[in-house]
Amino acid sequence: MISKRVKEIPFSGIREFFELVQKSKDVVSLGVGEPDFPTPEALKDAGIRAIENDYTSYTSNYGILKLRERIAEKLRLKNRLNRDPEKEILITTGVSEALDLAIRAIINPGEEVLVPEPSYVAYKPTVWFAHADPIAIPTTEENGFRVQAEDIKKRITKKTKAIILPSPNNPTGSVLRKKDLEEIADIAIDKNLIVISDELYEELIYDDERHYSIGSFNGMEDLTITLNGFSKAYAFTGWRLGYAVGNSEIIEAMMKIHQYTMLCAPSIAQYAALDAFDHKKEVRGMVRSYDLRRKLLVKGLNSLSNISCIMPKGAFYAFPNIKETRMNSDKFARALFKEVGVAVIPGNTFGASGEGYVRCSYSVSRETISEALGRMEKFLKRL
Amino acid sequence: MNKKNIDNEILKLLENDARIPISEISTMLDLDEREIEKRIDKLKNAGIIRKFKTSIDWKKRGEHRAAAIIQVKVVPQQRAGFSRICKEISKDSRVKDLFVATGEYDLILLVESANIDEISEFITEKLAPKKEVVGTYTHIVLREYKRDGVISFDDKTERLKISI
Repeated sequence: MISKRVKEIPFSGIREFFELVQKSKDVVSLGVGEPDFPTPEALKDAGIRAIENDYTSYTSNYGILKLRERIAEKLRLKNRLNRDPEKEILITTGVSEALDLAIRAIINPGEEVLVPEPSYVAYKPTVWFAHADPIAIPTTEENGFRVQAEDIKKRITKKTKAIILPSPNNPTGSVLRKKDLEEIADIAIDKNLIVISDELYEELIYDDERHYSIGSFNGMEDLTITLNGFSKAYAFTGWRLGYAVGNSEIIEAMMKIHQYTMLCAPSIAQYAALDAFDHKKEVRGMVRSYDLRRKLLVKGLNSLSNISCIMPKGAFYAFPNIKETRMNSDKFARALFKEVGVAVIPGNTFGASGEGYVRCSYSVSRETISEALGRMEKFLKRL
Repeated sequence: MNKKNIDNEILKLLENDARIPISEISTMLDLDEREIEKRIDKLKNAGIIRKFKTSIDWKKRGEHRAAAIIQVKVVPQQRAGFSRICKEISKDSRVKDLFVATGEYDLILLVESANIDEISEFITEKLAPKKEVVGTYTHIVLREYKRDGVISFDDKTERLKISI
């Protein structure tokens, strides 16, 4: 009954473990992948007003123009991207949809899409659903999990069409530097590769790191699809709101799919987000909290025996190395949960090069971090 | 971070949780523990940190208490204004909060006691007879939902324990 393509895509074996954790009452979870803050009051209010004022009908397929204009302004000021709100910005139902549209709009069956790993779990399946082949580019702890230009080059074939480039990265917290991006841009221009730049975590960045949008680099205007959204910076995950930015040809192609499969992004979420960019103070407050917890978690992890963790520079994840425990990621996560009730995500969930690591979220309270670290210490001592 | 900002960061952490371990503040702010302790002592001595308190749900504990919000109309006194009477009332241990506010009434008090009788005693024996007090308006608290920024009910909103 089920299509061949869907059947071919493996069901991750870790799913039943996740179900178990989900149902468990007494679990200290570092497995969360969303902000632990509520949506800022002003955005919630705007959403409620939208309902009260009956802004509940379909919107333009592209999304409401006012919101696209606000996004265009933000792109110009923050990302140095000059894009026409009329034709070069598409509002989507979360970045997940934007990613799917981007892939389906540009990829032909049998083509190859480069995917740095470890990375967000949806990249590969999205490519598969488009009957194309994702080609993993492993990254390593030694390079801070930043994808290296020469590793990209090695994997380019005649069939390579695009590369997905997430920064800051889930699960490693790595942030690509300007030089990394310049080298990648050079390759993209040389080989005529499209870069799908997933910048969803752009606001969540620490220490002296900076976020750069590769689409603003010389020669990249027509080769970049920039994906972003409100979920992570504005604690907006359940509202489902993202956007895609690129040249009008690509955006129009994406819109073609979007208009038939989604019609438009949720109107209420669009109105709620209209003035989101005016609320930098709330974002800064959340980033500061993440930053403090990041330090707490990473230092705590490094004080545990047989665990080491490099300092993540973005997002809200630490990605500790557990190789010294001589367990693989899967076994470690399962045992940790079974023995002391702490949930972490096995690193190999995010690709083969995540083996030997686990993802620990610091989008949890300080108390949760302390409790989890205490339990982990107990667990590691027993080994 | 300049010195004032560091102190503010420490204060924010303590405001949220008075029992946060010094070691954790030290990790979060990249300062050694001695330095943090010194700063906290200084803030205490300067009266900026008034007190470390705990939010307790006494009702859950089975200890029922009565509370009332009392608005008080006062005749301001020469040279002392409202300040003398406010200080006087504040000294009473049953008075948990006291504000001078705009509006028809001048003071707003939150009074807490073991039962209504004690609150009534406070009003009739202590508060109302004061010569500056010309009127009171008492609201008995029926239920408490939030106190000092802490929600007093069990919140059911729950995030997914795992999300990738």
